[in-house]
Amino acid sequence: MTSPISALGFMSSFPTSGVGADMSVGTTTAAPAAQAAGGADFASVLASSLDGLQATQSKADGLALQAATGDLKDVHDYMIASNEASLATQMTVAIKNKAVDAFNQIMGMPV
Amino acid sequence: MGVFDTLGISASGLLAHRKWLDAVSDNISNINTATSTSQSAFKERFIEAQAVNYGSGEGGVRVATAQFGSGQGRVVYEPKNPLADKNGYVRYPDIDLGDQMAQLIMAQRGYQANLAVIDRATKTYQAALQLGKG
Repeated sequence: MTSPISALGFMSSFPTSGVGADMSVGTTTAAPAAQAAGGADFASVLASSLDGLQATQSKADGLALQAATGDLKDVHDYMIASNEASLATQMTVAIKNKAVDAFNQIMGMPV
Repeated sequence: MGVFDTLGISASGLLAHRKWLDAVSDNISNINTATSTSQSAFKERFIEAQAVNYGSGEGGVRVATAQFGSGQGRVVYEPKNPLADKNGYVRYPDIDLGDQMAQLIMAQRGYQANLAVIDRATKTYQAALQLGKG
């Protein structure tokens, strides 16, 4: 997206007759338009972000297990890992909320 | 480069200072360890820290190696000590307790400073995530 109102151009890529008949048409035609404008589409950004979150959380889980079994070498390792996992979760949730908000605003647009 | 790199960089600082604390506690715990003059005295531990090049994508500090002081120590006349040689001398490590206490303070404050950075960074990231919520 290059300009604040480029979402209007994004919307214009919906085929007017296809929206009601086949919902998948809207998404398949919209994705290339988004990619052309701003690089990776939102689904792949969210997927890679979730992968990173998964890795961070499993690292924190592993360290929590080490703390429980007495194998933890450094106390700060676990504290920082859990801190980072918490921050990454907050960030992913914030991004998801923003995206859903944006979607809802567009869907709520009076036509 | 990840999003929350500050945490990892400060973690390396915590690790380096924790190892420094270990070295100081090792030195202080052995400050009265006598050995016979035929053996070397307890060698003082030194931690050699090394900066990790930030351009490498990591940043922070790492403990390159632990160095050891002289095993010469100081020779003390203690004829009653079972370890004493035939002239009545034993060997003690040449560690200055005042110097160790000063290092202890530096290591402790350095550890706390790194924790403070983590605390501030976490609060900063959280503030950034609150953007636009109000």
